[in-house]
Amino acid sequence: MNLGNIGNIGNIGTTGLCAVAVLLTAGATRQETPKPMVACYDSLADAILAVKQTEADFVLSLLDGHFHAAQAFVTRGDGARASAEMALFANEGDNAIGGVRKRLLEGGHHHNAEGEAKGIYEPGFVVVTRDAKQKALEAAAAMRQAQDEGARKRAWDAFAAVAHELTQRK
Amino acid sequence: MTLRASVAATIGLLGAGLPGCGDKASEAPQGADGPRFLFVDVAREAGLVRPTWCGRPEKPHILESGGTGLALFDYDEDGDLDVYLVNGWRLEGASVLERGPNALYRNVGDGTFEDVTDEAGLGDAGWGCGVGVGDFDGDGQRDVFVANFGPDALYRNEGDGTFQPVAVELGELGEPGIDGWSACPVFFDADGDGDEDLFVTGYIEASLEDVLQARPTLDWKDKKVMLGPFGLEGEANRYFENLGGGRFRDATQEAGLTDVGLYYSLGAIALDVDADDDLDLYVANDSNPNYLYRNDGTGRFQDVGLWSGCALDAQGQAQAGMGIASGDFDGDGLVDLFVTHFADDASTLYQNLGDCLFRDVSLPCGVSGPTYAPLSWGTCLADLDLDGWLDLFIANGHIYPQADEVEGTSYAQANQLLAGNGARFEDVSRDAGPGLAVVESSRGLACGDIDGDGDVDLVVANVDAPPTLLRNDSPRRGSWLLVDAPGALRVTVDAGVRRFVRQAARGGSFNSVCDERHHFGLGPDVQVVDVTVRWPGGSETVRRAVPVNRVALVRR
Repeated sequence: MNLGNIGNIGNIGTTGLCAVAVLLTAGATRQETPKPMVACYDSLADAILAVKQTEADFVLSLLDGHFHAAQAFVTRGDGARASAEMALFANEGDNAIGGVRKRLLEGGHHHNAEGEAKGIYEPGFVVVTRDAKQKALEAAAAMRQAQDEGARKRAWDAFAAVAHELTQRK
Repeated sequence: MTLRASVAATIGLLGAGLPGCGDKASEAPQGADGPRFLFVDVAREAGLVRPTWCGRPEKPHILESGGTGLALFDYDEDGDLDVYLVNGWRLEGASVLERGPNALYRNVGDGTFEDVTDEAGLGDAGWGCGVGVGDFDGDGQRDVFVANFGPDALYRNEGDGTFQPVAVELGELGEPGIDGWSACPVFFDADGDGDEDLFVTGYIEASLEDVLQARPTLDWKDKKVMLGPFGLEGEANRYFENLGGGRFRDATQEAGLTDVGLYYSLGAIALDVDADDDLDLYVANDSNPNYLYRNDGTGRFQDVGLWSGCALDAQGQAQAGMGIASGDFDGDGLVDLFVTHFADDASTLYQNLGDCLFRDVSLPCGVSGPTYAPLSWGTCLADLDLDGWLDLFIANGHIYPQADEVEGTSYAQANQLLAGNGARFEDVSRDAGPGLAVVESSRGLACGDIDGDGDVDLVVANVDAPPTLLRNDSPRRGSWLLVDAPGALRVTVDAGVRRFVRQAARGGSFNSVCDERHHFGLGPDVQVVDVTVRWPGGSETVRRAVPVNRVALVRR
């Protein structure tokens, strides 16, 4: 065993040191990862997946906020401001959120990596699919252009259907 | 047919007959037989011979991909357009071979130019990217701001044919500009106080050490190419309020112009998109949603890009925004926007629907197909054949020299001319004269009537090569009018059967400055017109029965 590696491993923190200690005491002939390490990684996985779920919950809250703001503006007959909130829903937040999304991507984090590979999600998007985004943007544009209550209702219904499908899916 | 060509052709076919653009083709005047356009490259004969450098031939760092911009303006007020070409540095390995000085060419008036760089004092030797022109000190002379990789530079026009750097006078308030990689500076009166403020886009954070040590590390079509922009930190855009007396202060945050996403901003243009008599600001972001900052009339802005429909394309996708053109392509009196993009992605034409709402009409208007394959930069909307409808000119060139090793594309690319008829655009590049056969890796582009014959000429900046000067020798399909109205927001020409509207625009194209006068192609059978000039604040000046085929001076 090359004990010279211990010094390099040490800088990854306490977890790393524990793991090395377990390795040193494990029987050399057993072809398995020591169970404490598996348990440790399992706990880490809980934390990692919990963070991912927290991210999804956060984005859902963000979308919920834009949805209800849009709904309130529609109720007041303010199509322009409703449209603005709908566009923000479609884009999973404003450009400041987009900046955070860009930072996560540059750090290698893709919430829906598989969905992105299949073309379902745009890079970094958590809840809103490409298809849903386009439909929501179209509804937002229709809302902005709506001249009467009927047109506003049609735009809202189209948007609400998209939003409902997304939130149900998650 | 390559896959890319097939996709482009398919897009072109799909666009035919789609809603979004009406059919105005029958209204277009009928021209004489023969080619509709004729452009000839006369740069060498005219004396525009200095190459503009941008790093090493193999381009291992993204800074070396950006090329340079240029300005067409009358610095000496002798009535014709002069040319100011921004220059970068020439590298070899990790060494700087040459700090290419910018070049100022004075228009002699006989179709040639005289290099007056040294006597004018405008040979800024920073690694130049873009240029802005404005009158920051209100003395009536056009001053120059150079956006560099490194400290930017502001030059005051002394009115005697010379310029002086003025940064040292700014003292504790600091110098306006970005000490990093800035791209497109735009002078405009944002707060309506009568002086010109300054907005500068920032692209990417990088140091000269990063550039000199760079190696191609990104996998692209089985080739190793430069990294970026993803994986690199964005450089923040900045806004500087003009305090008068030649002093500026950074007012980015309070003006609402904070670059909240640290997006990779390149092109920027100031214009009144919502026709409420103040200048708004549109910013093209590379690989991120574009910003549309709506001005409330006091210099406070709100980003309404997503809401307005000009932040993304029709599919809701952010694109690689590079350059911007503006103009009323469909003749409805509202200013439309055109944004150029990376290769294998169409450039986007946003039709202004009024009330600050835009719609991507690239496909139905015939723009998507021709613009899909090339990598596009500088652009302008101008009536190049005087038929009364705006045409599109686009400067192209790939960023990867390694493109030459890939089938179906190339590093040097031909520029494009798309003829407009008010409804659709048609790619007529192959039948527009030898000037359109020039193949370079082009970047900056500026348009204006350089030879004073009433039609619009073009100057194109090329990477590691001298510029192209495209003299417009196209057959005339109508009369023209050039309205010189400094400070105007909007100029309307009423020709009886038609009204033509031009919005004032500052900045635009790609890091370049086009002639700021308002050029109108009027179509055939127009002898006199009424001209209405709208000024900031809403006042108007009206000139009736103005004869055509001349320059009309209008002052507030």
